[in-house]
Amino acid sequence: MTTPLLLRFVAEARELLQAAASGLLALEKSPDDETIINTVFRSVHTLKGSVGLFDFPAFAKLVHAGEDVLSAVRGGQLSLTSEMVDLLLDMLDRVAAWIDDIESDGTLGPGADGLSHEMTADLRSLLPIPAGPAPAPDSAPGVAAASIDWVPDLPEADRLDAFRAWGTGAPLVAIEYEPAEDCFFSGEDPVNLLRQIPGLHGLEIRPREPWPDSASLDPYRCVLRLRALASTSAETVESVFRYVIEQTRLGDVPPHLLIRPAGAPNGGLALDDFLDEADALVEAGEWERLRRAVAALTELTSPALFAASSLRWLAAVLALPSPEPAWAKALIASLATGQAQPVPPRGTAAISADAAPPPVHGSAEAPAAPLPASSPAGGAAARLTPLARDILAAQRTILTLDLDPDAFTLRLPSVAHTVSNVLGGTVRQIDLESWDDAVESARAQANPGPMLAVLAHLLDGPDDTVHRAAAIDTGLAAQGELRTTGGPRVLKVDQAKVDALMTLIGELVVSKNSLPFLARRAESVHGSREMAREIKDLFAVIDRLAQEMQAAIMAVRMLPVSEVLDRFPRLVRDVARKLGKRVSLVIEGEDTAADKNIIEVLGDPLLHIIRNALDHGIELPDDRVTASKAPEATVLIRAFQESDQVIIEVRDDGRGIDPDKIRKAAVTKGLIDAEQAERMSDQQAVNLVFLPGFSTAAQVSDLSGRGVGMDVVVTAVERTGGTVSLTSVKGQGTTARLSLPLSMAVTRVMMVEAGGGMLFGIPMDHIAETVRIHRSQVRRFKQSEAFVLRDTIVPLLRLDRLLGIAPPAWFGDDDQEDSVLVVRVGNAVTGLVVDHFREGMDIILKPFEGILSGIPGYAGTALLGDGRVLLVLNLKELL
Amino acid sequence: MSDTTPQASGARILVIDDGITMRLYYRTVLEAAGFTVEEATNGVEGYEKAVAQSYDLLIVDINMPKMDGYSLLRAIRSEAAIRSVPAVTVSTEAGPDDATRAFQSGANFYLVKPVAPQALTELARLMAGGRS
Repeated sequence: MTTPLLLRFVAEARELLQAAASGLLALEKSPDDETIINTVFRSVHTLKGSVGLFDFPAFAKLVHAGEDVLSAVRGGQLSLTSEMVDLLLDMLDRVAAWIDDIESDGTLGPGADGLSHEMTADLRSLLPIPAGPAPAPDSAPGVAAASIDWVPDLPEADRLDAFRAWGTGAPLVAIEYEPAEDCFFSGEDPVNLLRQIPGLHGLEIRPREPWPDSASLDPYRCVLRLRALASTSAETVESVFRYVIEQTRLGDVPPHLLIRPAGAPNGGLALDDFLDEADALVEAGEWERLRRAVAALTELTSPALFAASSLRWLAAVLALPSPEPAWAKALIASLATGQAQPVPPRGTAAISADAAPPPVHGSAEAPAAPLPASSPAGGAAARLTPLARDILAAQRTILTLDLDPDAFTLRLPSVAHTVSNVLGGTVRQIDLESWDDAVESARAQANPGPMLAVLAHLLDGPDDTVHRAAAIDTGLAAQGELRTTGGPRVLKVDQAKVDALMTLIGELVVSKNSLPFLARRAESVHGSREMAREIKDLFAVIDRLAQEMQAAIMAVRMLPVSEVLDRFPRLVRDVARKLGKRVSLVIEGEDTAADKNIIEVLGDPLLHIIRNALDHGIELPDDRVTASKAPEATVLIRAFQESDQVIIEVRDDGRGIDPDKIRKAAVTKGLIDAEQAERMSDQQAVNLVFLPGFSTAAQVSDLSGRGVGMDVVVTAVERTGGTVSLTSVKGQGTTARLSLPLSMAVTRVMMVEAGGGMLFGIPMDHIAETVRIHRSQVRRFKQSEAFVLRDTIVPLLRLDRLLGIAPPAWFGDDDQEDSVLVVRVGNAVTGLVVDHFREGMDIILKPFEGILSGIPGYAGTALLGDGRVLLVLNLKELL
Repeated sequence: MSDTTPQASGARILVIDDGITMRLYYRTVLEAAGFTVEEATNGVEGYEKAVAQSYDLLIVDINMPKMDGYSLLRAIRSEAAIRSVPAVTVSTEAGPDDATRAFQSGANFYLVKPVAPQALTELARLMAGGRS
């Protein structure tokens, strides 16, 4: 269910969240800027006010906590730290996700209460603690305590290992790690991270909440909770987890918690004899005899049985340098009863580090005062409604404020007016008159006394002094029309409708091209030059209108590139922090617009390029200083329009790409041979990173080097008809440049003739140039042909042979020249021999559908002005 | 509305709030109850509108850019021509100090968000009167 109010709220909330997030980032740079603090605070504050209109308690609670933190920052009780910004940004992210949920189905997703509770607790833990119960001491500062009630459920072998390690004096720590939901996008590998902890024993991975059904499962969202036992110190774990410490909780594990025999209940040896004497042996401290007996029995017992498990634990306890008698006894009791008996803590059980749930930090929610306005209206017993009484009481309060005479003069009129209004119509005339008199004398005396007397009479007097206020019927009129105010009206239109318009206008543009044909026919066939002129005039008008219309519809689909760039400040900041690098991100030209499809495709390639820059390009601050650069690196994202292309440049001032390293790596990987590497220019070497399977990282790093290289970027960009280029100066930085078409809807092709008069379209993006070469210039190498184009050997292919259509009877022109289209596919340059070149034109490409869709070599079809169908080639597949 | 309370119709209310959702909410609820609603998005705009035209009730958000609700009310109360307009502040906090501050700066009543539609309508009927 979505109401106009809810929709308005969704839109407003998005704006506020964006404002708050960018404010927070700015604040991190200049923490003392009061204007920014106020903006951020007010955004969250307004959000809190608005969400109160709806029933989203989890949402409201979380935003409230965020507001409190910001309020403390604004008030100077807290100074802003990066951790704090992290938490606040997390809060904004969470809220943004909820806004999405609200928009799509009107509710917060499942688990909202839990999430809100957790994040609220985290945020509130930042607040200076107002005299309340101090949180229990954590295992270490900054790391919340893990609950450890899951420890006994770990597999026995893991617990035994941990127990034995503990027996040799190793520490024992329980780790609970809940990776951020978007961790996969920031290049984290939670399991791998956990594996880096030395002395890891049990590892349990479970979803935090039940898995949704497969249709709504988002595999890119990490909803796992990882738990593990490790025989290592909390400090070691903290150092491994230092970048995700806020997602981690550690807990001390009392070793007795590990001891829990489990297994099949029945069968096995009769243990009566052993049990008879075991307790006595424990009492006497005869550990060695007990050990031997246990070892013998273990040999004889099937390992899956409960008894065997008990014996294993008993052996482990006995293997301790000084076995704990209470543990041994509990295990012997377990053996005797066939059920796990409670194992007491070590020694006198004085240090009972019990498996208590982690404390909730400073839940200092003030009890809400009863709201004066929310009291139900129209109580039958009251003469004045409760609200009317409240309002009158408020006027009394105002009059009794310690006001100086001047201030009283200022306040009196509105109080007088308010009381008159409240009394007006609902009260006997006499009350109103007495009030007016009281106001007059109060004004004369500059003293509220007379007014207070009337108010006291109204509020405290017997009921019959005032008449009952009219029963009030209120409520939102369901049928009430919502009128939006101010600003341009915005329509939400299904994209499919805009696409349909785009297709139609495309067809119009194409079919109007048939008018010149008609004009020619009017002249040549019907012999009417007059008619031909009129048709041409009409064509000019329709042509102009169609073009304007096309531009207008294109404009509807245009979006600013800020749609994709907006997420990068946050990403750059997070990644840079994780890498220990200092990076300032500058974005220019975020208003540059491009077609929606292009914008949508752009996100992932840019993400990859920026990650690459941060990970490989930019040096650590110290290295930068050594290279006499500023410690803070700059990444510049620049978007601008260049003729009919959108250019997006990502420029960093990092270490640049070393062409020699690239050459070496390419040779090692067998992508080129040593000789080729030798001949290559530096720029050509740099371009090698675009080859599939090439990864620039010397070693696979956690962030970007996952075997997914720049080739993915190239593929994605080329799919839109764009290109990627990379220039780099060693030691000075790298620039990646994405050139994208403004729109994917219209494709510019060059028409060529091949196979004897058949027309084919070749996307203009691929065409480097057109040349005519003389037959004698064609060199033949066995089956293949080539020619020399300005010192470069270009392989020559014949389009009609490629397409499997018969060559024309007359082969080439009379003057023995071939028309060669020089095309560039990827980095390879090829010459295509065609029969004739024809004009270039804009077409609306329609991909093949149905059984034709599987045919390789063709991108699709387009309708020509004279009704013919043009086949457009896909050179990438063809060559 | 079914029981058209004659005094409510036509009364003019100025809503001054920087939250677009809140403004739409006020407008929806109050117009449904027969009031004429105008909006201002911050204190400065609110002041300009309040001075330029006569209203029967001001609904003033406290935390606003440019000029907050307290300053706005002080400014309004020092203008003789509009001094007598009843004003309600709306804040998200429910502290006792907030009420005092609101009263001191010139409010006649204060509300705490969220304001239930019934309460809002009743309040407007009571405070805006209808004798304009």
